Amino acid sequence: MDGVEGLSSPYDDPRLYDAVLEHLDFDVAWWLSEARAAKGPVLEAGCGTGRLLLRLLAAGIDIDGLDSSAAMLRRLLEKARERGLEPKVLEADMRDFRMPRKYAMAFIAFNGFGHCLAMSDQVRCLLCCREHLVPGGRFLLHMSYPGVGYWSQPGGVPVLEVERADPKSGHLMRMYDTRTMDRVGQLQHSHMEIQELDADGRVVRSSRFETEQRWVYRHELELLLRAAGFTRCEFFGGMEGEPLERDDQQMVVRASAD
Amino acid sequence: MKPVPLTPLDFSQYVPAGRYDLIYSWMRADVGFYVAQALEAGGPVLEVGCGTGRVLIPTLEAGADIDGFDIQPAMLEELRTKANLRGLEPRVFEADMRDFTMPRRYELVTIPFRAFMHVLEIDEQIRTLRCCREHLEPGGRLILNLFYPSFDRIVAPPGAKIVEREFAHPDTGRPVTITSTVEYDRVAQLLNAEVEVLEGGAEGMAGTTTRYRFTLRWIFRHEMELLLRLAGFTHYEVAGDFDGRRLINDTDEMVWTAWKD
Repeated sequence: MDGVEGLSSPYDDPRLYDAVLEHLDFDVAWWLSEARAAKGPVLEAGCGTGRLLLRLLAAGIDIDGLDSSAAMLRRLLEKARERGLEPKVLEADMRDFRMPRKYAMAFIAFNGFGHCLAMSDQVRCLLCCREHLVPGGRFLLHMSYPGVGYWSQPGGVPVLEVERADPKSGHLMRMYDTRTMDRVGQLQHSHMEIQELDADGRVVRSSRFETEQRWVYRHELELLLRAAGFTRCEFFGGMEGEPLERDDQQMVVRASAD
Repeated sequence: MKPVPLTPLDFSQYVPAGRYDLIYSWMRADVGFYVAQALEAGGPVLEVGCGTGRVLIPTLEAGADIDGFDIQPAMLEELRTKANLRGLEPRVFEADMRDFTMPRRYELVTIPFRAFMHVLEIDEQIRTLRCCREHLEPGGRLILNLFYPSFDRIVAPPGAKIVEREFAHPDTGRPVTITSTVEYDRVAQLLNAEVEVLEGGAEGMAGTTTRYRFTLRWIFRHEMELLLRLAGFTHYEVAGDFDGRRLINDTDEMVWTAWKD
């Protein structure tokens, strides 16, 4: 999960990560409503700097989290202190973790599952999540659907993914992603650059990262869930609970075991 | 897994058995491969979805001990007629690949020419593979080929008519044109094809038109690996063509081999 060409992972610079991504809230209402419906403790695997976890905790959800990046978790705890929150989070690998309790709901948000690159990683991760559920508990996962629109993008070209002002410095932040894609392997290698621009539009700081993502298809995800012992699953095409019908939608699955 | 009743497979509008060999006369790359695999198996071979015997008859002629079955009796009739003309006595049966029982076990089970893609549901895909596995001797192999869902194809605008092939009729030399209209459901991984085959008539005579349709479920590489695992296979590999080269591109043919431990 570290940078493969010697560049660091974007998770090594959590402040920068937050400057670019913490504002995202398109999925908050969905996760809050799912967490409330679970009527019990919730676990977020891959909680990062707590973009979702802290919002859910603040809303009264009994939520624990885990992440493999100590730096991201330190940042999460810093933010929690500022907000007067006391989250229980653990540094752990989503493929192999042991939490002190079981949960009514476990989830992996916003493409976090894409960090499991090999099939064995994927199955172990799902299995581990299932083992942490109370009987009748549910597991949810959100991944972008790898549609033809995605695969048809030109590879090797920087694409401006995010552009916004950093609320602290007022500086404009730009995140570029240069991707190479392997359609058969369902892999994406990302070479990311985050630029910080001053008031005159000069780049005052540039940070480069790289990361890899493994995309999954709908039927494939159902098979992975079965391989991990889940017996029921329901797919949605986005955060409104709409049906998954087109390959330009998001993919959300809710699974449970008998 | 609960045993669920099988969904009826509808082949009522499929290729007429009497036209099949002409329409697929362009497909030859796989015959030599499957014949060689059958001879190498050194024991009984089962061909699943043997149809008109495009692969089975040459395999039998090469001296392999091969059984076959197909869900369409008309195809089997065609196979028997062709075999009898060559003095062969094929052992072929009418059966459904999702749930079959043969009286013996095999060193090799094959599902050539993408026939596995006629199985549309996950449970039935797994049942089919499991059934094949149960018919293998320990150490025996299952071999099947599927097209990889090439993105150049599955982005084709819905309703567009595409000329698939144009060739000369192997017996008469008259032109044959195959045109298809295909719709793709890119989440369900289903394609619905309507095919039209025009055979040019003799001089001054009208030609003939054959129309048929079918639905196929395409499968991605990692997905196929999961299906094999869920069917109980632990050892398998995939090649990108019949020559054994690596699967790299989305225009490759996936040729899978799975071993029964």
